[in-house]
Amino acid sequence: MNAEATAALSASSPDWAIDLADVAKTYKGKIEALKGINMRIRQGEVFGLLGPNGAGKSTLVKILMTVIRPTRCKGTMLGQPIGSQSILRRIGYLPEHHRFPSYLTGAQVLDFYAALTEVPRATRKARIPELLELVGMQDWGAVKVSRYSKGMRQRVGIAQALMNDPDIVLLDEPTDGVDPVGRRDIREILAELKRRGKTVFLNSHLLSELEMVCDRVAILVQGQVAKQGTIDELTAGKERYEIELATPTKQPPLAEMLHQLVSTNWEQYGPPKGWHDAGQLRSGEAIRVVNNMVQVHSSDAATIQPIIDQLRAHGAVIKSIRQLRPSLEDLFMAAVGDDGGVGGSKPCNANKKPLAAAPHTAKGDAS
Amino acid sequence: MMTQTVALFVDAYRELNAKKLFWITMLLSGLVVSIYAMIGINEEGITFLWFTLDFLPGNINSEQIPPEILYKGLFMNLGIGIWLTWIATILALISTAGIIPDMIAGGSIEMLLSKPISRTRLFLTKYLTGLLFAGLQVLAFTTASFLVIGIRGNVWEPGLFLAVPLVVCFFSYLYGVCALLGVLTRSTIASLLITLLFWCGLFVMNMGDAILLSFKVQYEVQRDGYTMGIDRSREGATKIITARREKEGNPVPEGFIATDEEMQSVMPWMASTIEYRDEAEETLGKLEPWAKGVYAVKTLVPKTGETIALLERWLISMADLEAITDGDAEEPTIDEESGRINLDDNELQLRTQEAFRERSVLWVLGTSLMFECLVLGGAVFVFARRDN
Repeated sequence: MNAEATAALSASSPDWAIDLADVAKTYKGKIEALKGINMRIRQGEVFGLLGPNGAGKSTLVKILMTVIRPTRCKGTMLGQPIGSQSILRRIGYLPEHHRFPSYLTGAQVLDFYAALTEVPRATRKARIPELLELVGMQDWGAVKVSRYSKGMRQRVGIAQALMNDPDIVLLDEPTDGVDPVGRRDIREILAELKRRGKTVFLNSHLLSELEMVCDRVAILVQGQVAKQGTIDELTAGKERYEIELATPTKQPPLAEMLHQLVSTNWEQYGPPKGWHDAGQLRSGEAIRVVNNMVQVHSSDAATIQPIIDQLRAHGAVIKSIRQLRPSLEDLFMAAVGDDGGVGGSKPCNANKKPLAAAPHTAKGDAS
Repeated sequence: MMTQTVALFVDAYRELNAKKLFWITMLLSGLVVSIYAMIGINEEGITFLWFTLDFLPGNINSEQIPPEILYKGLFMNLGIGIWLTWIATILALISTAGIIPDMIAGGSIEMLLSKPISRTRLFLTKYLTGLLFAGLQVLAFTTASFLVIGIRGNVWEPGLFLAVPLVVCFFSYLYGVCALLGVLTRSTIASLLITLLFWCGLFVMNMGDAILLSFKVQYEVQRDGYTMGIDRSREGATKIITARREKEGNPVPEGFIATDEEMQSVMPWMASTIEYRDEAEETLGKLEPWAKGVYAVKTLVPKTGETIALLERWLISMADLEAITDGDAEEPTIDEESGRINLDDNELQLRTQEAFRERSVLWVLGTSLMFECLVLGGAVFVFARRDN
């Protein structure tokens, strides 16, 4: 993150659940997993951390949970310095690829890890059935975890992360191996946690999941925060309109009109690279014709009014008009680049796909 | 803090409970106790169930060895010496070698390190839970033995329970090494095999020490016997020479003591005896640096054999040992033809036992525990600094 963004964060609300400044980790062998992370998570929000494999997501979470020692770190969690043991009593954590002792039952798993978090015995006794019910495992509490499916282990894992009634819940790939019904249940649990005012820090590869539940997201690429903000903030200015025509676009006189439209100002700006039947309007917005679809990259509805008029004047029948915004996946792909951000030494913004080339998520429908 | 410690111990118990090997070991312990409950001794000899084994050589009976000494001896030699400190220890190491590697395995360590418990405390508590296997086994075995000795030997000896801390202490030396290797290698098999090799190394060193010490004692006994024999002979020679000189009218001066040459003139075989004494003295001089060297090396490493031998030291006094062997003990005598000393095996054994018992408890336990502390300190250092 640049200095401007950091300054903007500094001026924001002081109620940060997690406030990270310059978190860096270099492993033995000079492998730089994190290159100075600045990240802030508000109390009571659901925050999503995404990034390709090897981006440093798990390293960051492990630093927060004192599993790994950072090379540099100036952050705090609930006001306490990162690395403080006492604050861990107020944090719930589910690691990725967690492994529970196979000789324990589900209820014993909850009891054991809650005891290590110093939850009193009476509280543990009361919370175990409650939480097993919350994650839909009430009939499996007395069964050994060795007999559980992966999804069941995830559910029990989420329950154990909640045993200490934490202020912050860090979940690393909580929906990993969980079926669609289970994923919906987990989303409901997360929504319930948010209603209770808990801060949720979510690490997930399932971008659609994150999009549904997160208030804010950060995209981590090669140990650096490539983007951070609400999905609205990140997609601001990247919306587009799609005008779907019932009339074939190659039929004259519509074909000439569209050619004229997309050719506008080519002399001045030149066609955007890789686009076919694409150009820019006089006002600067990109325009593209794909089959019988006219795409205009603008968030302003006024921009498309003259285009609609021209289309209708040239005999086009408009089937639908939709406003779309980039999905989280579009943002993610744009941030990580063509190689998915894995293992490459390229700077994080190199080789970006143009956002407009990727599919967008429908925001509204004018048809 | 207490909640966490209790949780770790309860978890360790659940882990043991889930291991078949724990219950197999417990069952075998019961079998060992049952076997020596079947052995008895009466006026006629050793008995097995209701049979008297009167065909055994030596014709040992209850007058020579009281039942309580027999049972204590069986408990220490068979129960502790062979069963607990060899077979059960190997089974315990197999069962517990995985505790530390399993703890630091990916997916498991994150669950533990993310709790408000320091790495040092987590590691040491886990280490102590590893001793639980040995602790529970030896406690069950000792309790059963206590009842057998009480019922069969008619002696209720609470001192037997000293076996619990001693065997746990003995196991802890090996388990400390196993835990360090577990942290370093993260492999159960590697840590188990290297620990067994280390144990073999200790065994070889203990054997060497025992052999050197028994040689040393043997030569000391020889030297002392020759010296005593020479002193007695000198007295005899002095008397003979005094009488002879008085007879010849040439009385010896007051306080006369025969010299070696004068003694040899009346007792020619004494020349060889003096030579043998000097040889014994010379061999002792050669053995001394080796014995000191082995002793110095042993000071640095855990003393497994001696730790277990402390139980015998506390349960059977030297007086008891002498009482058992007194019937056969003979004073060393010098053969008048060869000039050689005749040594009594029982006497040698007693002197060797005495030499072992002269080694202080502080040396046996203190230096061994110091080694264990260093090993554990190293393991904690690596564990606390490592990224998991």
